[in-house]
Amino acid sequence: MPLILNDLTPLHWAVAGAGIAAITLLLLFLGSRRLGISTGLEDVCSLVLRLPYFRRGAVVSGRGWRLPLLTGLVLGGFLSATLGGGWSPMWDGGMFDARIASDPLAKLAWMFAGGLCIGVGTRMGGGCTSGHGIFGLSNLELPSLITTISFMLGGVIATNLIYRVLFP
Amino acid sequence: MTLLYLALGVVFGFILSRSGAADYDYIQRMFLFESFQLYGIIGTAVIVTAAGMAAIKRHGRTLMGRPIEIELKPLHRGNVLGGLIFGVGWSVAGMCPGPIFVNVGEGKLYALAALAGALAGTALFGAAYPRLQGWLRMPPLAVGPGEG
Repeated sequence: MPLILNDLTPLHWAVAGAGIAAITLLLLFLGSRRLGISTGLEDVCSLVLRLPYFRRGAVVSGRGWRLPLLTGLVLGGFLSATLGGGWSPMWDGGMFDARIASDPLAKLAWMFAGGLCIGVGTRMGGGCTSGHGIFGLSNLELPSLITTISFMLGGVIATNLIYRVLFP
Repeated sequence: MTLLYLALGVVFGFILSRSGAADYDYIQRMFLFESFQLYGIIGTAVIVTAAGMAAIKRHGRTLMGRPIEIELKPLHRGNVLGGLIFGVGWSVAGMCPGPIFVNVGEGKLYALAALAGALAGTALFGAAYPRLQGWLRMPPLAVGPGEG
């Protein structure tokens, strides 16, 4: 199955997985850093919000490395598009367009709602796919196993409800 | 060091972009059990990272000789409830936090709405933390629910 991005052929899963592992290990070995992207959402919030939650040492002290990493993610996506058929703003959402809605406004509202759940859920759970799913599981941490099972379950239930029941 | 983290982010973003992890359809096919791609990626990443991490921990130091300190995440009720809510968000948006940033870079305009939602959700949770903390048995504010 080609990617939505310029119909590119994806990397083999073993190559992609090993690459992600290499990044995770380099962060640890070069900087003693624990990979985690969703805390970066707090870092961004802490730039403008003065709530005590965003003034915690853990957030403020991590901004110096997490904000460059997040900036790199954006640049990496841009580079991937540029080198793989060209960059241009797009609305293409794959099966979302065919089954749920192709109207941009509806898609924006839907994606905002999804984002809200991602923000609340990752912070309440203490991490996301990277911090719990990859780093935490690799380090055999029980909270990460519990959280990973929970978010995989949440995703399986939601997608099956959306695509097998609501928009079959 | 800032440039190093930026460079690691660029490579990470490129891999996420080209792997299917930042692709709405691949995420749905994973949750529908119709595609092995994402399970293969996460499984490989965990196995390789676990092996490398064991070696780095045995070594005990970074390349520059600083001691390795891994902050462990706390266990609390938010792990289950927050995990479930995040899973729904991952399904609905078709992206988890890293791929939100990657999709913005790729030029997918709807990812900007997911990013706005994720930041709003983070802000909401931060504002509600003092009220949720007791109920979810989460650590004191200074510690927070866990980094990463």
